[in-house]
This record gives sequence, C-alpha cells and structure tokens, in this order.
Amino acid sequence: MNPITFLKAAYIVAWVVYLGYLGRILLRMKRVEEEMKELQHNGSHSSRQ
Amino acid sequence: MKKLTLISVPITVALLAYTSYLALIVAPTEQTMGDVQRIFYYHVPSGWVAGLCFFINFVASALYLWKRSPASDALAAASAEVGVVFCAVLLITGPLWARPVWGIWWTWDARLTTTLVLWLIYVSYLVLRRFAAGGQTQVLAAAFAIFGFADVPIVYMSIRWFRTQHPSPVMGGGENSGLAPAMLHVFLINLVAFTVLGILFVWLRYQLQMQEQALESAHAQLALKGVSR
Repeated sequence: MNPITFLKAAYIVAWVVYLGYLGRILLRMKRVEEEMKELQHNGSHSSRQ
Repeated sequence: MKKLTLISVPITVALLAYTSYLALIVAPTEQTMGDVQRIFYYHVPSGWVAGLCFFINFVASALYLWKRSPASDALAAASAEVGVVFCAVLLITGPLWARPVWGIWWTWDARLTTTLVLWLIYVSYLVLRRFAAGGQTQVLAAAFAIFGFADVPIVYMSIRWFRTQHPSPVMGGGENSGLAPAMLHVFLINLVAFTVLGILFVWLRYQLQMQEQALESAHAQLALKGVSR
C-alpha cells in the first residue's frame, strides 16, 4: 500500500475522533440544558398546585 | 458561557485546520521516511495532551480526596475522558505510522505496551465512575486515579530506560536528537494548537459534568418534594 494512504488515514481518523468527540459533548450539553429547563418548568408547575 | 463556547469552538477548529495545512504542505519532507513522517505532527501532540490531561486528573483527584469538592471531582472526570480520547488517537496514529516504516502494525515493546496499559487504566477509571454503585464512587475513582498516574512517567521514560523498537526521543534525547528548524517550527505550532484543543475539550466537558451534577441534585430534590407530599 502507498505510504500516503497511511498518512491520509491517520489525519482522517484524528479529525473524525476529535470532531466527533466535540459534537458529542455539545449535543450532551444541549440535552442536559433542555432537561434542566423541563425540570424547572415541572418543578415550578407542581409547586403552584 | 454560551457565547464563549460559540467563539472558542470555531477558532480552535480553524487553528487545527491551519496546523494540518502546515504539517501536510509547509513542513519539509523527511529524508528517510518520506511523507508518512508527517503523522509525527499529530501523533506526538496527541500524546503530549493525553499526558497533560492525566496530570490534571491526578491533581484534581488528589484535591478531591483532600477537600471533597464536587468541582475537583468534575475536573478529574472531564480530564480523564479527554485524556482517553487523545490517547486513543495516539494509539491509532502510531500503528498507521509503524506499518509503512517498520513493516508491522504493532510490537510489544516498552513504549507501545506501557501506552496501551495507560489507555486501559483510564478506560477502567471511566468504567468505574460509570458503573460503580454506592456513595463512595468518587473517592474510589480518585484513589484509583492517583495510583493510575504512576504509569505516565513510566511511558515517558520507557524509551530512555529500555532499548525499544520505538525511536529514541526526538527532543532532549542526547547529541544526535533534534529537529530541523523548519520542522521544529511546524511541530511547536501543532503542539500549541493541540494543547488549546485539549484545554477546550476539558473546559467543555467540565461544564457538562457540572451541569449533570446540578441536574442530578435537581432530580433528587424534586423526588424528595414528591415523597414529603
């Protein structure tokens, strides 16, 4: 196999892992924020009852 | 906080793209290995950031055992996870470099084996945090992390202590070590960019960990309210 293939593979893998991880963190942050908002909304709703 | 994230993420990604350009186009071609040596500009900084993250984890774990602050525990969890990600890239790019240069994907030499063990130690740490039951999980994890960190200096020194298939240190490895100035320049910029990326990951992951802790306590408070009613 051409050595350039290994070079390309190494850079692609690194970018995929780093960008994938960044995307995963940002998605989880968004989900937790939404869940927190929902919880606060439910909490305030139930305390009014 | 959101604004800072919105600014820092694209800046870091752009910085990383620029360093890829420097490593793939600007840096001179190494005489013996040819273009495949350019893996070096991603491989070594990934290893450096992994070591840095594990050091942060060590300090945060020691702080947690001393002060028992949730912030230290969150920082320990965040840095361990980021360290595992960077160490995984190190372990993937290594064999991709070794195959065309050594003719083999892997060999059980001291540097490679201790690095794999390091990765497994911190994967175990994350598994422990995720699945251990009871109120002492954080304490157990912190104690585990302090002992686990002992492998970091062993990984660093392995190419000095043992004769290995892995090359000797490029920098600080004696008279014949060192990089050509054009390569060193690109390498240092990559090192800075990867460090910035690592710090960004730890900072974001720390925010997430704190948010998750807040969510958990909010759930608990809500459940208590329900029980008391």
